[in-house]
Amino acid sequence: MTQPPWADQLEERLGLELESMRLLPGGASKEAWAVDAGGERLLVRRAAGGVIHEDTLPLEDEFRVLEVALEAGVKVPRPVAYLGQLGGREAFAMERVEGETIGRRIVRGPPPGLDLELSDELAKIHAIPAERAPFLRASDVLARFERELDSVGEPHPAIEYGLVWLRERRPEPLAPVVSHGDFRLGNVVVTERGLESLLDWEFAHLSDPREDLAWPLVRAWRFGADELRLGGIAPAERYVERYCELTGREISLDELLWWEVLGNAKWAVGALTQSRRHLNGLERSVELAVLGRLAAEMEYELLDLVAKAA
Amino acid sequence: MTDRPTAPELVEAVREFLEREILPTLDDQRLRFRTLVALNALGIAERELTSSEEGPSLEELDELARTIRAGEAPESVLPELRRLVAAKLRVASPRYLEKYR
Repeated sequence: MTQPPWADQLEERLGLELESMRLLPGGASKEAWAVDAGGERLLVRRAAGGVIHEDTLPLEDEFRVLEVALEAGVKVPRPVAYLGQLGGREAFAMERVEGETIGRRIVRGPPPGLDLELSDELAKIHAIPAERAPFLRASDVLARFERELDSVGEPHPAIEYGLVWLRERRPEPLAPVVSHGDFRLGNVVVTERGLESLLDWEFAHLSDPREDLAWPLVRAWRFGADELRLGGIAPAERYVERYCELTGREISLDELLWWEVLGNAKWAVGALTQSRRHLNGLERSVELAVLGRLAAEMEYELLDLVAKAA
Repeated sequence: MTDRPTAPELVEAVREFLEREILPTLDDQRLRFRTLVALNALGIAERELTSSEEGPSLEELDELARTIRAGEAPESVLPELRRLVAAKLRVASPRYLEKYR
């Protein structure tokens, strides 16, 4: 086993005997290490050399969010230890949860009731008192998308149209809540028993609850099972109804359309900025590269939703 | 004028090589996925190189984007945008467009 020079440091901070460690593929801004130590199966998240996204939490805060979410009864990997700097970069350890995360495979045979489990988890997240995570911030997403689109340096009239449409119809905001920020299939660990765990809390922030609620409806997260609006696993009605029952909020599927358009604009801009990570050399990857062309899918969906709304 | 194979024929040859000779040998799921993404990328390049569609110029797109952001676009811009994006998708992701038929 080839160990990084900071393996001893890791062992010492964990206070557990290191059995094995292996770097998992993917991710230039964060490394993920599968670590077995003292009979525990852990995942160590560590900052990587690449430039970190402007809107992601530092690892210390992400660790804190996991602790707060766990206290609130949300299904998350058990946070084990914030490790400080390992070999000069921030890291933390959490439980390594087994199960399926690949959206395309989950939509082939989702466990029954997964839609309601998503409502349950989201309701619990949105009930977390904001003062438990005082470092979480709210932001004006439309202004941010416009800024990010400008940074891409390429004209995208369809996204511009979407942003104008969204601005002109901005709904009365609901009181901001603690939000996951990337609540969708792909960030959910699923087994035949059902939903096991919610991953990837680095985008956690404060926002209108409808932002999280509508994000898994975006067509890109249906993984080919397009006719099932909630993440390719179920129609969205029951999911939204259950969420409303649990939270006491009155949110209709119709009003989520604005948020679904927002989600498409967000992922269209996201895909373009991801492809720039490849193009400007931050993270060379064919996967990221091709996203620059696939942004057109979200552009088309955005225009289709807007046309239907008219 | 160049000797054959032409650029699209070269891309096609590489795509077929990856598809027929490399992909079947891969057991690692992650590597298989990345190879499929690479095949997709080559498919995009092939379609672009063989497409006879002529899109708008960068200047025209810039102007359109600015007009829309300034809130000065006419009503008729929505169908125009759908045509523009559909044209991009015929190169980038033709099967995606079938979802809307």
